[in-house]
Amino acid sequence: MIALVTGGASSGKSAFAEKLACSLADTRTYLATMRDDCDEARSRIVRHQRLRQGLGFGTVECPDSLRPACAKGWHGGVALLEDLGNLCSNALFPPCGRASADDVLARLDAELSMLQTAFEHVVVVTVEAGCAADGTHASTADWLRVVGALGCALAERSDVVVEVACGIPCVIKGRLSWT
Amino acid sequence: MMLVTGGIASGKRTYVRALGYANEQMDGCLDAPCPVLLDLDELLRAGDLDERDWERLLCKEVVVCHEVGMGVVPMDAADRAWRERVGATCARLAREASEVVRVVCGIPVFLKR
Repeated sequence: MIALVTGGASSGKSAFAEKLACSLADTRTYLATMRDDCDEARSRIVRHQRLRQGLGFGTVECPDSLRPACAKGWHGGVALLEDLGNLCSNALFPPCGRASADDVLARLDAELSMLQTAFEHVVVVTVEAGCAADGTHASTADWLRVVGALGCALAERSDVVVEVACGIPCVIKGRLSWT
Repeated sequence: MMLVTGGIASGKRTYVRALGYANEQMDGCLDAPCPVLLDLDELLRAGDLDERDWERLLCKEVVVCHEVGMGVVPMDAADRAWRERVGATCARLAREASEVVRVVCGIPVFLKR
């Protein structure tokens, strides 16, 4: 199955997505997207590592592309991608230069589809970021458009879409037997 | 009248098309003879709507507006005033609307039906 988990910053998306992933399969792969290029990122990475400690996830580093997760063919089990916002930032704003929003959108859309050829279940965490009055800067506007469009495309292909607010999951598409 | 709200690139327009409206039936201008008004938030940049604008707004079948009030408070005073106009206008419009939909990742979440 494909599941998409959305919500605001620190709304409990990760904890819910991990619980969901664990309920789906015993073979668990975490697709990590954060670059460890500053102290803030490193402390965030450690917080998330602690969150999923003991849950039996193997980790594949996917900071700007999902290809590393699909390279070895069929893994089976569940993949948890966390998160789409980071992946889009890293893909749009590489250390040198700037990528085209249309290119990134097409590439990541194709790579997200590819995940299904490597895993039985895919859980993707995205972020509700476009509900603010700050989309006027060109780079911000590009990022919002790419994250938004990928969220819509993925939601259409998903069996279940969940919006988390204050740690409470609201199923907005499909059904989860245990929520 | 149906109010459709949601974030940037959340799928609002695609949802309105799925209701059966063509692109030609959507316009961002109140005077356009179109059943769908787009970008209510942009209309509010200049200031509040007057009563004549309200009458025309309520004649629309669908009104689409960006959700702009869920981020940080804007640095600029004019942006803060605009953001509040958008919120207050949507709240007033929602009272008049028969249906209010918030689109999340392309999925219509009904707030009023």
